[in-house]
Amino acid sequence: MMEKKENGKMARKKIPLSGWAAGAVLALFLIVPLFIHNPYLLHIFVLVFLFAYLGTAWSLVGMAGQLSLGHAALIGIGGYVSTLMFMEWGVTPWLGMIVGGILCGIIGVIIGYPTFRLRGPYFALTTIAFAEILRIYVENTEEGPLGIPLRGGMGLLVPLKGDAPGVFQFSTKEPYYYIALLMMLAAIGLSFFINRWRMGYYLAAIRSDQDAAEALAINSTKYKLIAMAISCVLTALGGTFYAQYFRYINPERAMGLSMSIEIALVGVVGGWQTVLGPTIGSILLSPSGELVRAYLGGTYAGLHLCLYGLLLMVVILFLPNGINGPLIRALKRLEAKMWGPKMIEKVTAPETAKEDKP
Amino acid sequence: MSILEVKKLNKSFGGLVAIHDFDMSVEKGEIVGLIGPNGAGKTTLFNMVACFYSPDSGRVIFQGKNLAGMKPYHVCALGIARTFQVTKPFVNNTVLENVMVGAFSRTAHSHEARKKALEILEFLEFQEHKDVLGNELTPADHKRLELARALATQPRLLLLDETMAGLNPSEKPHLLELLRRVRDQGITLLVVEHDMKAVMTLCERIVMLHRGEKLVEGTPQRVANDQQAIAAYLGEEYATT
Repeated sequence: MMEKKENGKMARKKIPLSGWAAGAVLALFLIVPLFIHNPYLLHIFVLVFLFAYLGTAWSLVGMAGQLSLGHAALIGIGGYVSTLMFMEWGVTPWLGMIVGGILCGIIGVIIGYPTFRLRGPYFALTTIAFAEILRIYVENTEEGPLGIPLRGGMGLLVPLKGDAPGVFQFSTKEPYYYIALLMMLAAIGLSFFINRWRMGYYLAAIRSDQDAAEALAINSTKYKLIAMAISCVLTALGGTFYAQYFRYINPERAMGLSMSIEIALVGVVGGWQTVLGPTIGSILLSPSGELVRAYLGGTYAGLHLCLYGLLLMVVILFLPNGINGPLIRALKRLEAKMWGPKMIEKVTAPETAKEDKP
Repeated sequence: MSILEVKKLNKSFGGLVAIHDFDMSVEKGEIVGLIGPNGAGKTTLFNMVACFYSPDSGRVIFQGKNLAGMKPYHVCALGIARTFQVTKPFVNNTVLENVMVGAFSRTAHSHEARKKALEILEFLEFQEHKDVLGNELTPADHKRLELARALATQPRLLLLDETMAGLNPSEKPHLLELLRRVRDQGITLLVVEHDMKAVMTLCERIVMLHRGEKLVEGTPQRVANDQQAIAAYLGEEYATT
């Protein structure tokens, strides 16, 4: 009798195989720089973390059932704000990062407020339009309002200060590696808790059926706006990291549609609307994209884009909710096999079932 | 004092008049039935009480408060819960999670919402389904889920839109019994129903709508014997069930 009642709790205490797998991957990430010193390989890891972070931030809007295809704009704004503040006033990017974050949070609310009231593709269209307008504006503006030196399509070079942690600059890859890893973990943690708080239940309700959600006292516009604001703040912080890591930011790459699509792709392939989906998506996509670009980019330009497209088609056809769900189910089946039929009962416990909620 | 008053309500969609100069009131603790042929305006009326539509003119007053300009989520927070004629479960969530969403309207804490949701599920004798996903339920269980979710918001007034539709004859008496128990908890019920047998046994008062206007109002016996009502629709329908 006890056992039946405690079923849910026991499942929570007993760490499922997917949990062990995630823990093992994390432990591996923590020690990678101890035995890999090749800067290029570390660079690939940094990209994995950065895009996992950006994808996780992006998926917070996805959890509200909204598709943003303009998140690059927020990377651009975050990166430009911190870089300009550093160039012009000598303000450390650590501080500029926060200013960019707050600014993007406000921008997110301004974009979301009118469009979240409409149903259909209007939000997605607005985000594309916003990012593209911003990109075209910055590309063609040498000097913005109040004399801000935007430098047009040339982009901004972050003034080099050598190994200076105080201004977010390091001479080796390792500090960036750990900062990116920490940002990724923080985003995953936030997403994890949001999913377990009231907010997560509300977002799931809103994306499932907005009318039913509103009938249950959920102000859907408000919760979408909160999700959007958090997502925008996080993405802007990623923008500052981007600028500091590459020491260069330009509108074409940082604000362009291809960046927005890359972020969205990481989420869609991994499983948007799930906590770990974007991370899995990034682990799969970022290295393959980078390697293909590095080794085949010279001979077959644009091949990585073809591969991305192909992968996206396969995922949408066969795994419309991303790789995350089937991956967790496969791990559970493996687990059931390893520990015998006793485990099967717990596999269906609600805590673990929530994980692969599409 | 009436818990709900509807005064001179009007609503048209384009040229179609859905509700015309409609008045009604519901007393606290009553079970009131709303009947009428298809297209009579029952669901439209529901949607206006729950503020999914705003009326063209007229007022809806709940516990002395005019609901004009309110949104569905305001109305629910005030204490009006509704179910949908076409059920709207959150399909990728379990029954428990579905009901917790309703319970969250009174608490921000997951453990309290879970406790309340489990209480409701037990009350509706639904707890053995708590881990079933919304899209794996039978139609009858969808109805029960709608009811559980609505009850989890701890309403004063419950609007039930065709809860009996799609249930088989053996499931109906059980649900009627549950609805009576809901009323015994002090919740007022306003039900739209096509199942005449259910309406006649459940409701204390019946309002009959026809082409957006009130045709008859009174006890089930009175409405059943009203010649106008029989002429409009009750005759054949009641005779066959």
